[in-house]
Amino acid sequence: MKKLTQLGLAGVAAAAISASAAAAADYKIGLSNGWVGSEWRTQMIEEAQAAAAAWTEKGHNVEVVVQSANVDVPGQIAHVRNFINEGVDAIIINPNSPTAFDPVFAQAKEAGILVISTDAEVSSPDALYVGIDQTAWGAAGAEWLAKALDGKGNVVAINGVAGHPANEMRVAGYRSVFEKYPDIKIVNEVNANWDQAQGQQAMQNLLATNPDINGVWVQDGMAAGAWKSIMDAGKAGDIAATGEIRKDFIDLWTAEKLNSGASVNPPGVMASALNVAVFMLEGRELKEPATAGQYKNAMYLPIPFIDSDNLAEAAKQVDGKPGYYSYTSALSIDEAEALFK
Amino acid sequence: MMVDAVATPPRRPGGIKRFIEAYPFLPALIIMLVLLALNGIWQPRSVSLVGITGLIKTYMALMLLAVAQTYVVYAGDIDLSAGAIVSLVNVVIVAVMASLGDSGVSVLAAMAIGLGAGLACGIVNGIVVAAFRLQAIVATFATSIFFTGLALWVMPVAGTPAPATFWRTYGGRILDVPFVFWAAALLAVILYLLARTRHALQLLAVGDDAQGAYQSGLPVTAIRIRGYAMCGVFAALAAFCITGDTASGDPLVGGKMTLYSIAAVVLGGTALAGGYGTVVGSVFGALIIGLINSLVYFVGTPSEWQNLVQGLAILVALVAGILIGRRARA
Repeated sequence: MKKLTQLGLAGVAAAAISASAAAAADYKIGLSNGWVGSEWRTQMIEEAQAAAAAWTEKGHNVEVVVQSANVDVPGQIAHVRNFINEGVDAIIINPNSPTAFDPVFAQAKEAGILVISTDAEVSSPDALYVGIDQTAWGAAGAEWLAKALDGKGNVVAINGVAGHPANEMRVAGYRSVFEKYPDIKIVNEVNANWDQAQGQQAMQNLLATNPDINGVWVQDGMAAGAWKSIMDAGKAGDIAATGEIRKDFIDLWTAEKLNSGASVNPPGVMASALNVAVFMLEGRELKEPATAGQYKNAMYLPIPFIDSDNLAEAAKQVDGKPGYYSYTSALSIDEAEALFK
Repeated sequence: MMVDAVATPPRRPGGIKRFIEAYPFLPALIIMLVLLALNGIWQPRSVSLVGITGLIKTYMALMLLAVAQTYVVYAGDIDLSAGAIVSLVNVVIVAVMASLGDSGVSVLAAMAIGLGAGLACGIVNGIVVAAFRLQAIVATFATSIFFTGLALWVMPVAGTPAPATFWRTYGGRILDVPFVFWAAALLAVILYLLARTRHALQLLAVGDDAQGAYQSGLPVTAIRIRGYAMCGVFAALAAFCITGDTASGDPLVGGKMTLYSIAAVVLGGTALAGGYGTVVGSVFGALIIGLINSLVYFVGTPSEWQNLVQGLAILVALVAGILIGRRARA
């Protein structure tokens, strides 16, 4: 049995090594992803790998090594320790916890490794965040909704996982916007755990208990579920609700002419982070040091917004892609370079 | 090596046979050593002193949680709230330390309160399962949601840092030996002492045949509650390690660890039906999971296959353990 195990693993390894031994890399960058529950994360990694490949044209070999699996927080700390053991130049991580990586990032920095988190901010002073501002993301959807409602009406919110930092920031974002509109009333807020089916169920319940809803603020894939309930109830013409960025929804949005608007958290954030990382490894200095955000270590990327004005463009970008493909954007190498001195 | 109390079937003659029966964790030990060697072949630095220290630092919490789970599984029960207890104790001790300031006294007070919280959670589980006779798998699933709710109430969002005294100790050295090695040695002593008490034997007796245990005069309900209480205390110890390694409070930090702890117990050779097993095996089981996770990466598995290969490798380890055990016993 022991031999069998070895044989199996050796087979996997041989295939992998023959693929990766092609050229010695100028830079080796480790990508860590601690959750594989959505296509968004898969797309995030694929875009980062493509971004690394694009550096070949610029005369750089950027090799990426990836650890992506459903892990608990200690499991993702192990990802980082594996990267340190392997001696990578930089680590780009979509972290499972905002605070839990402080000690291990300190170790990485001691080993001379650049650490960048993306998609979710981290508190570590030894890391940098390159991604969108989740508070602004939440606010952008709320601004659109407030305008769509002419500044008055009853609004409900369907949120993600209680206690998840990105969720709390998004909630703070929409609350700060609605506060500015005295005639907009938040009549109910529920959690549907970023799950499309739970979002649909939550919307059904909300429609049953609050028949006078004018607007819905809902995040990510739950929006597709919520819209399904709104359409089933025959209220698609009366309700304005935020949307999401997957092709399936963009198609539905176009076909049904929904009154919707979507903040974009593009899966390209990791690719953007990778391009920034390479310039930092080159020793280049940022024009504006990354000091934004609650942890004073963030560099925020622009947040695209899809509404009826540019829906056709968005539909064109995702045309021909599978239904789960997300509308995306990332800093190109040149755009990233423009951020540096 | 530690010796565990095991409700052994009648002994038969034969060298290796008796050996495996006396030490049911041997297959897990062998698999662990093989995996360690494979890790060393693919990434030599992973078995250096720094690498091994990192491995133990990272998986100490899972080892302790696997031990916690084992005491419950001994009696044929299960605890799906173990990870939630870790989260709760994590936020409780971080909140206490944050309010008392950064000092030795505050750390000790927080740990005492944390142990109390873990014990209380364990007793709640024990009462719900053993005294109210609810199905363990569903009852502890329910309490896991309850404990997570409590953790979110104590700390609505992750973020409060733990004082430096705490995590610098965990990540540091005493007499030039990494702290986690001392912790591992202390754990070994505690497990050895616990194995010599009648608690483990009684739990195994209940797991082996609850009716028989009851008829022979054992207080079955009290024993099962005690199993859950021990589970709560060890889950609290696991939370100390998580806090030491992450230096912060996070109300969701332990949630995913529950199933890993159960997997570690089974990999370690303990029967989920109860009545047979060792805590030492569970410790090895936790390390097996950690070593598999690293090995899957070190051999260069493409990212889209990592979950699949990891799952397969755990299955292979499980089968290997059974085959080694069976061949030796046959």
